[in-house]
Amino acid sequence: MSDANLPETPAGPYVYDYKTAPNRQIELPKTVPLPGYRAYVAEQKAQAEAEEAKWQKQLADYETAKAKAEAEGKEAPTAPVKPAPKKNDTDMVFPAPTEAQAPDLLRLMELLGDKVEEAFEQAGEMTCQVGRDHILEALKLCREDASLKYEMLADETATHYPAATDFAFSVVYHLTSLARKKRLRLRILIPEGFEPQSATQIYPGANWLEREIWDMFGIRFQHHPDMTRILCPEGWEGHPLRKEYPVVGWGQRDIDFRDDRSGMLNRIALEKAGQLGINLKQPKAE
Amino acid sequence: MGVIHQPSSFENLLITTRVEKVMNWSRATSVWPMTFGLACCAIEMMASGAARFDFDRFGCGIFRATPRQADLMIVPGTVTYKMAPTIKLLWDQMPEPKWAIAMGSCATCGGPFDSYHTIQGVDKIIPVDVYIPGCPPRPEALFYGFMKLQDKIMTSSLADRYREIFEEVG
Ligand code: SF4
Repeated sequence: MSDANLPETPAGPYVYDYKTAPNRQIELPKTVPLPGYRAYVAEQKAQAEAEEAKWQKQLADYETAKAKAEAEGKEAPTAPVKPAPKKNDTDMVFPAPTEAQAPDLLRLMELLGDKVEEAFEQAGEMTCQVGRDHILEALKLCREDASLKYEMLADETATHYPAATDFAFSVVYHLTSLARKKRLRLRILIPEGFEPQSATQIYPGANWLEREIWDMFGIRFQHHPDMTRILCPEGWEGHPLRKEYPVVGWGQRDIDFRDDRSGMLNRIALEKAGQLGINLKQPKAE
Repeated sequence: MGVIHQPSSFENLLITTRVEKVMNWSRATSVWPMTFGLACCAIEMMASGAARFDFDRFGCGIFRATPRQADLMIVPGTVTYKMAPTIKLLWDQMPEPKWAIAMGSCATCGGPFDSYHTIQGVDKIIPVDVYIPGCPPRPEALFYGFMKLQDKIMTSSLADRYREIFEEVG
């Protein structure tokens, strides 16, 4: 085999370019994929309107083309056919949200009145969005009302929606009723910096879940017994599950190490800085 | 007496060798690892220790529950920033002579976790003797890595390990 068939040898050692690495780049989402009945209806309506407008334009185009052809004495163009609405008859479609009909949701709406912002069902799951100042009341009702009896908080989590204008996060409470074998989802939408009431006042098990939300999203909860980080080390910068946080973090991984007992990481940092042309070395004291 | 008239039995009693070789041999065949696991690789390490694969055949099955009685630290799993100070502390508590095996892709180079929370290889915090790639490595791979470590121990000299100190002292 001749040398010409061999791949070209690189000039130097392979160097990973950290600055342009794909996991350093942040791409913020442009949509707000928040499930909800009202949003779904609005979306459907907009879609239907767009299709209707398209059809009207097609008709108008046809009319003008026909008039033109008649004036010139040519053959008339064929008339357009209205496209039939597309039908998806596979069973792989995700079920669309529907209006609240379940007795639990109706009961909640009756008890809370206009504090409920939205209630809907989707894929057999119940979701109730309440005003962000009334979440404690809603949780208390869910736990204590005889016809609801959701005695367990299965999970509590949050989602970041950077593209939304009137809120930044949704905090979601997944409740389970062991006695009635039912599940219910409560949701609040909060802006940046808003501190919701801690659910530990009603479900003590929310303690660690809320610490995790604080750690990952930077949402603080009022009246929480111990609002500290739970997964990241103390003194970590940033909240990793926010959308603007790059996957590799803000450089902690490369240089700094917070508890460097043997000085080894310090040496690595010096070496790295040396590669970048920075002299971090302190002159030795005599 | 009979014993005096049997010079051959005297030869049977004696072996001549080097002190270093005996020490290396005894060290290589009784490496006690530390009971310690970090992630999914630890499950594979436990499987290696159990009856089917039986790590003990190599003199390496006595998992000690304290770093002060351990010679070998197998680092099986993902080294996170939160765990790193603890690993370093355990390593510092182990008495010399001590060895480390980085088991799995995570411990050798960060593995699939090219992200904010993972140290890209345990060699950033402790010195590693043997790297075993794989996600997770099979028990055979762990044994092979361990046998490589035994080779290393057998060929090491006491001066190697303490060269820095000796050179300093002169
Ligand atoms: S190398 Fe693979 S199997 Fe081992 S700890 Fe990492 S992810 Fe788990």
